[in-house]
Amino acid sequence: MSLQQIFVLYKREFKKIYRSKYTIFMLLIQPLMWLVFFGSSLGRLPTALTQELFKTSNYLSFILPGVLSLVMLFVGMFASMSLIQDKRYGYLRRIMVAPVNGEVPLFSKLLGGLTRGLIEVPIVLIIGIAMGASIDFSLSSVLIMIASVVLLGITFSSVFLLLTLKTSDLQAPGVISSLILFPLMFSSTAIFPSNLFPSWLELLSKFNPLTYSVDLIRNAFLGYSFNLNYLIFLLVYAIIFLFLDFILGRKYLSSE
Amino acid sequence: MILSVKNLTKKFGDFTAVNNISFSIKKGEIFGLLGPNGAGKTTTIKMICGLIKPTSGEITIDGINALENPLEAKKLIGWMSAESILDEDLTVWENMEVQAKLHNFNKFEEKAEELLKYFDIYNFAKNKVSNLSTGMRKKLEIAMALINDPSILVLDEPTIALDPNTRAALWEVIERANKERKVTVLLTTHYMDEADRLCDRIAIIDHGKIIANDSPSNLKKKYGNTTLEIKTKKEVELKGYEYQKEGNNYIISVKDLSNDISKIIKLVGENNIISINVNNPSLDNVFLRLTGRKISEEKTESTKIYRILKSSR
Ligand SMILES: Nc1ncnc2c1ncn2[C@@H]1O[C@H](COP(=O)(O)OP(=O)(O)OP(=O)(O)O)[C@@H](O)[C@H]1O
Ligand SMILES: [Mg+2]
Repeated sequence: MSLQQIFVLYKREFKKIYRSKYTIFMLLIQPLMWLVFFGSSLGRLPTALTQELFKTSNYLSFILPGVLSLVMLFVGMFASMSLIQDKRYGYLRRIMVAPVNGEVPLFSKLLGGLTRGLIEVPIVLIIGIAMGASIDFSLSSVLIMIASVVLLGITFSSVFLLLTLKTSDLQAPGVISSLILFPLMFSSTAIFPSNLFPSWLELLSKFNPLTYSVDLIRNAFLGYSFNLNYLIFLLVYAIIFLFLDFILGRKYLSSE
Repeated sequence: MILSVKNLTKKFGDFTAVNNISFSIKKGEIFGLLGPNGAGKTTTIKMICGLIKPTSGEITIDGINALENPLEAKKLIGWMSAESILDEDLTVWENMEVQAKLHNFNKFEEKAEELLKYFDIYNFAKNKVSNLSTGMRKKLEIAMALINDPSILVLDEPTIALDPNTRAALWEVIERANKERKVTVLLTTHYMDEADRLCDRIAIIDHGKIIANDSPSNLKKKYGNTTLEIKTKKEVELKGYEYQKEGNNYIISVKDLSNDISKIIKLVGENNIISINVNNPSLDNVFLRLTGRKISEEKTESTKIYRILKSSR
């Protein structure tokens, strides 16, 4: 494995992002849609009730960390679509004819997906604030947010990439995404707090990395205390998946 | 020997695509794998380039065991596939850059510029690949294959789907690269004229087996005797001649044309002949002799081009 190889392939992914008008358009429009529709759905709830349920009087402030995390869930699909396209058009073969190990293209796709997500982060923040979310900005809260979304992006991009490692069916990422998006979204605290969950869902939410990312960012942005265990939990997830990318990528991408 | 392949076999399930083939290529040679569609050419190339694992056999590239040490072997190979594989969203230069850096060449600029100039496409360096003509793409792909100074250049059907002019131009490119840059070439083709024109040695492959391996002129001498192609109205018996028959089409090998032609016309009967054709020694005859079939029927040709266009778009 060489970093130079990963980097040049990542550069290629990056160019593909900013050279596609549709990609840029979607990166801008998607966060706007999330915030407008999610953020407004409970906008008329009485303030006292909002305060009791969401621990803040502003539902938008509650949902913003959820949207930041959901963005990282979605980018996994793009990472895996990009890999499958390379298989389809034979480009992966061009890569693998060079002295390259199988994990190299996989890591470059992972970084490409992560980048897409990270581009959306400031856009979500700006739109959220413009719409009236109140955020407790400080160096530490920003660092916590960045760490959370990066670790979450690594985890979810890996999940998609690994699930579609052996297929060249362009439909696969879409199918997987519709299979796992809703369960992951609603078994996390992204949209509703877990104290509203039935006990089985609450149990499920404890294994969902989305929950930890959302709670870390939410605590930071709403001025509640930082929970190191949550960050360690996300880190462990990311490391496990990076390890799996390495092992399985080398095994399955090195030769057809 | 730059490349030596020994008892190489590839099975896909029960189907044997490449069946126990052996050959070797000397330094500086242009070596051709010649065979019809589905013969196993691409499968052989993919095994040599480390894209698929052989079921059994050995591959040695410039002294390196390619199966035990694939990464080292890959450093010695420059490859171009039958379908054009380039990143359409990137420029010519950026495609070169990716290729170079995958080979861990950091300072690739000088070499890339030299290669693009050598193949006369430097003016297009900043153009997106999607704007290039098919001929320029092929040149770019060969330039990319040479960026790592390979010991062997492996070209899978380099001139498939090219018009006659571009084909001839590409032959020149391959010949120049071989002569001036001293790079050994392994190419596959199902064009007889291409193999004849370019190759120092040819291995004819059919149904996964190598059925002949020699220089074009030796092959023609050995197997390429003159044939008579006769179409008749009624069936005939051609005693004393070696021939192949398909309906009322006869392909007859003759040793002494001027003598045999009148004898055969007598045997067939002048009124029975619809048409008569003389084929002089050529690789076409060699293939026909060895397999009993013509290599490229029009139909397979066009379906194949269609398939390639479909898969590359
Ligand atoms: N991955 C695969 N799985 C199953 N069969 C395969 C696979 N790849 C190739 N084959 C079969 O192996 C045989 C040889 O294929 P190959 O692509 O090597 O032929 P070729 O000589 O390159 O032909 P062409 O001139 O059409 O490119 C064919 O019958 C093909 O269908
Ligand atoms: Mg082929």
